[in-house]
Amino acid sequence: MTIHEPDALAKTTRINSLFDFYEPLLTEKQRTFLKYYFHDDYSLGEIAAESGISRQAVYEHVKRAEQVLESYEGKLMLLAKYEAMQKLAEELERKVAALPIDNVFKQKLLDDIEQLTKTEYIDVTEVTNHGGI
Amino acid sequence: MAVRIRLKRMGAHKAPFYRVVVSNSRSPRDGRFIEEIGTYNPVTQPAQVTIDEEKALKWLQTGAQASDTVRDLLSKAGVMKKFHELKQQK
Repeated sequence: MTIHEPDALAKTTRINSLFDFYEPLLTEKQRTFLKYYFHDDYSLGEIAAESGISRQAVYEHVKRAEQVLESYEGKLMLLAKYEAMQKLAEELERKVAALPIDNVFKQKLLDDIEQLTKTEYIDVTEVTNHGGI
Repeated sequence: MAVRIRLKRMGAHKAPFYRVVVSNSRSPRDGRFIEEIGTYNPVTQPAQVTIDEEKALKWLQTGAQASDTVRDLLSKAGVMKKFHELKQQK
């Protein structure tokens, strides 16, 4: 009889979010096992059968890779910061949208806020200077 | 060959989106699946879940095994309860 992991869904979304931030820091093996288990939702038994190692060994690999992700997050907190920033940006967006100001200027501000939420590939030359704020 | 219902991660980097799919236990990780029966979007507040209840029940009744994560989703959507009720009726 299999024991069902409590709140497996929350765990999967958490690990996948961490994976998005720290993937480049993982080894090839860690990436592979995490992808099988959390991206594609394979069971330990299925991964074991496919990779030709024991179920217990797969479990150890997955567990260890999870710990590595959490330890990176503990030190760097990229996910926590990202989520906090997303929340702040949303709030800012709401507040700016409600301001009684010129619509063109308002749109420029909203565009800037949107840029904030895209942490990757920010083209700094694109960040406009509205001046006078 | 066992049939499984599992979650499949789609979506962009840092913008996860999941499909609930039915697939064979031994099909390699090439993205092939038999049928899509729902979606799960954890980014929206609250998370958005859509499940094709009819299809989900059909697969569960024919013996498809749901993964723990899908089981969570189906429970939240009330599908597991219906499945057990149907089982009791027999």
